[in-house]
Amino acid sequence: MIRALVITHGDIGRELVRVTEMILGPTEGLTAMTNMAKSANAITDEIRDWLESAPETGAEPDQKLILLDDFGGSCATSAQLACGNDPDAAIIAGVNLAMLLGFVTWRDTGDFRELVAKTVQKGREAIVQVGGR
Amino acid sequence: MPVVLARIDDRLIHGQVTVGWSEQLHPDRILLANNAIAADPWQKKVYASTVPPGIQVSILPVAKAAACLVDPENSEERILLLTGTPEEMAELVRIGIPVNEVNVGGLHFSAGKREMLPFVYVDRQDLKAFARLLEMGTNLSAQQVPGGREHPLDQTQIQQMGEYF
Repeated sequence: MIRALVITHGDIGRELVRVTEMILGPTEGLTAMTNMAKSANAITDEIRDWLESAPETGAEPDQKLILLDDFGGSCATSAQLACGNDPDAAIIAGVNLAMLLGFVTWRDTGDFRELVAKTVQKGREAIVQVGGR
Repeated sequence: MPVVLARIDDRLIHGQVTVGWSEQLHPDRILLANNAIAADPWQKKVYASTVPPGIQVSILPVAKAAACLVDPENSEERILLLTGTPEEMAELVRIGIPVNEVNVGGLHFSAGKREMLPFVYVDRQDLKAFARLLEMGTNLSAQQVPGGREHPLDQTQIQQMGEYF
């Protein structure tokens, strides 16, 4: 199973995960984290702990997707520092609900790189002007 | 080099700096004085990548940052100066950088630190550096973001805080 960590400012991540589960039902391997009241080092350490907290899955590689609310903030910096060159980790900024719904729905099919690309595409497609001029 | 903001913030370059303060102060350059990051090309690249286009960035060891800031040959660039600890800022001021006021932007909780303000957690070393900054004639003010409440810090508060250790 591919795991995901949603790291955001405030409680955005917790709410996104809660609403995802409200729509799709209880979901394993989907974790929220906030940067609230944490130093850059504390955020990086917490991400490292999550990266290393792989469940026993036998021969299956532990693949990890980190979704951030905003590129350029402490979450993004810490995520990059924590992941380093891990070939089984990917980081996406700009998380929205459509991306999480897509990720959970597709994660058991296809390969990791494809899933990451599809999740980014889904997020972009979800941003549309739906009314007004 | 005019320093438009000298800020102590253990998150270093992040949203409050690159968006909050930079939108208000329009610095030409963000200068991060940090020995560890300056010595590590990977960390340097990650931190530098978070600065928006239109703002230059330099990540230098503390001594080199001080040398740049005091060099009269340097341009009239508007500098937003950052350190991750009060100690590093006190060192820069000791060397003589042109700064009269230091913004305490964020020192988060870690083991051994106590709360001074909801966004300022300190240990004895931090308090000593604050006291040194004040002794050198620098004003200290804790404020996270522009328009947020300012909390001037004085020797009495620092001494009172010191009694908790």
